[in-house]
Amino acid sequence: MFVTTILTYSLLFVSLYFEIFLLVAFLERHFARRNTQSGATTLSSYPSVAIVVPCFNEEKSLGATLASLLALDYPKDRFEILVVDDGSRDNTFAIAKEFEIDARVRVFHKENGGKHTAMNLALAHTNADLIGCLDADSIVAKEALLRVVPVFGNETVAAVTPGIHVKETSNVLQHMQNVEYRLSVFNRFMLAALGSAFITPGPFSIFRASVVRKLGGWRYGHSTEDMEMALRMQSEGYLIGNAPRAVVHTSIPRTLKHLFNQRVRWTYGWLRNAVDYRHMIGNRAYGNLGVIVLPSALISIAAGIYFFFRIIFELGQAATHAFLKYQVTGALPHLAFDPFYLNTSMMWFLVWFAVALILVLVAAGSFIGTGKRNLPLGTPLFVLFYSLLVPLWLGTAVVRAIFKTGVQWR
Amino acid sequence: MDPVVNTRTARWRSYLVAFLITALIFATALYASNYFQNQRIQDVRATEDDISTQILSTETQFDLLTQHSCSDVSENTTLPSEMTSLGSELSYLEAQGGNQDEITRLKSLYSVLEIKDYLLMQQLAQKCGLKPVFIFYFYSNKGDCADCEAQGDVLTAFSEQYPDLRVYSFDYNLQVGALQTLISLDTVQDKLPALVINGKTYYGFQSMDAIQKVLPQLATLQKSATSTTATSTKK
Repeated sequence: MFVTTILTYSLLFVSLYFEIFLLVAFLERHFARRNTQSGATTLSSYPSVAIVVPCFNEEKSLGATLASLLALDYPKDRFEILVVDDGSRDNTFAIAKEFEIDARVRVFHKENGGKHTAMNLALAHTNADLIGCLDADSIVAKEALLRVVPVFGNETVAAVTPGIHVKETSNVLQHMQNVEYRLSVFNRFMLAALGSAFITPGPFSIFRASVVRKLGGWRYGHSTEDMEMALRMQSEGYLIGNAPRAVVHTSIPRTLKHLFNQRVRWTYGWLRNAVDYRHMIGNRAYGNLGVIVLPSALISIAAGIYFFFRIIFELGQAATHAFLKYQVTGALPHLAFDPFYLNTSMMWFLVWFAVALILVLVAAGSFIGTGKRNLPLGTPLFVLFYSLLVPLWLGTAVVRAIFKTGVQWR
Repeated sequence: MDPVVNTRTARWRSYLVAFLITALIFATALYASNYFQNQRIQDVRATEDDISTQILSTETQFDLLTQHSCSDVSENTTLPSEMTSLGSELSYLEAQGGNQDEITRLKSLYSVLEIKDYLLMQQLAQKCGLKPVFIFYFYSNKGDCADCEAQGDVLTAFSEQYPDLRVYSFDYNLQVGALQTLISLDTVQDKLPALVINGKTYYGFQSMDAIQKVLPQLATLQKSATSTTATSTKK
């Protein structure tokens, strides 16, 4: 009992501490603007940019993705699109070829080998200064590239991530993910502000091509080449920036099964990459990333699983008691409100505070990403139910990472 | 919001500020929790004072009975529902933790009040021909009584069904002179849960049917219309 209590409060303390740390850093930056550098927003010259669209069976969404890229505000002679069909079995290649009518588009076809191989093929076929990736289920805003490129004015910046938003919210699950993406906008922004970004997501992360070549190109990275590349860049001393107003809208899973598979892959990849880059964890040489960000990210997985089982255990106990009570008395539980019995334990106060903190962070994410502080529609559902879903894929990913089972993209 | 990038220097000042804020939040949560727990303790103490006053009043009334009629006194003079809800509140307080010394003091006083109520009702029964129905319930919450929770549920259900039923629940391990005397008078052994019904002691879990069988007087009590009264029989 004593050990459980200590463990519970310790995990709660660490989880709260990390979120408060991010919030403190955000407020410090917001009010003082001393410790971080804002990337420049104007360009004196335009570096050449190649955007790679790796695709595997993307016939439904590829057209819209390419159309959005062609509509980007950027000098036409400084911009090219490389579509790499990674062994699709549908009409992806034919659809991509239709876009070759535009001189900026080049289409390649190869045997299926994974996203990292598609990226490397494109890298080998371009001389652009900057190379980016856009997943074939995402759409970029017209001014997105112009908001990203100036950040590369800082020579130590090796990559810049965008502000990723949800493309459509047609069901409850997608509304909840929409809130999570707002939270991610905040986290991505703050991690970049702390020099600690450790993911360069597929939707429209842009890289300095010379650095990518120097580092040896993309690797499999346990099906999360975007994490592996970011960790490798950090490991080699490069910086990753974030341009939150470079807006990208991306498709998100519609069903729990697809969401589960996607998140198991992400978490599995993160855990396996964390093992590969374990020399950075707790290492002061990597600054905030080594001292606080990576350890917190790992602890948060443990905390998520622990709290899930604890909630399940307590609900199970309550249900068992209610059942046994029904067995011996024949009486069904009835609701009666008495303020005397309101739960005012320390744990509950902390839970309420954690919920309030999440709301603040989501609002901050909205502010960073959209300029408005509105909470998305799905926020109440996110607060109530999403934390019960997350441990499902966390637990699965941990088990699979321990046994090194590997994960599939689809 | 402008794009952002920064060096990776560890921000020790921010670490410290965040740590202090987090610690402050924990301290506030602890303080708030203790504050509300103390408020509850005060509520319980106030209720005990009320019940104590009522018992004293009834005792005084009883002393005056020679000059007055029994019609002024009824079986529910000391409000069994208040007594049982007080027991329930004490159980909750105990489960919540906090100031255990204070809670033990409140439980001790509660036990004494229960015994006084029982004695008074017995006197009233003899003098005025009332027929109160009692159950003594002895439990332990030291983790050595597997059936105490279920027994408590059964007695709670009875109290809800029969608001005038007087269920006196006692923590067997409580070191209160009056309680220990009661235990020795009824020769209750530490084989808990134990019920004393009509002068006979029953050990182990007693189902609703079993209790109804040995307590036929239950049929004389009026049943609750709503069965919503909170009551305590202790886990």
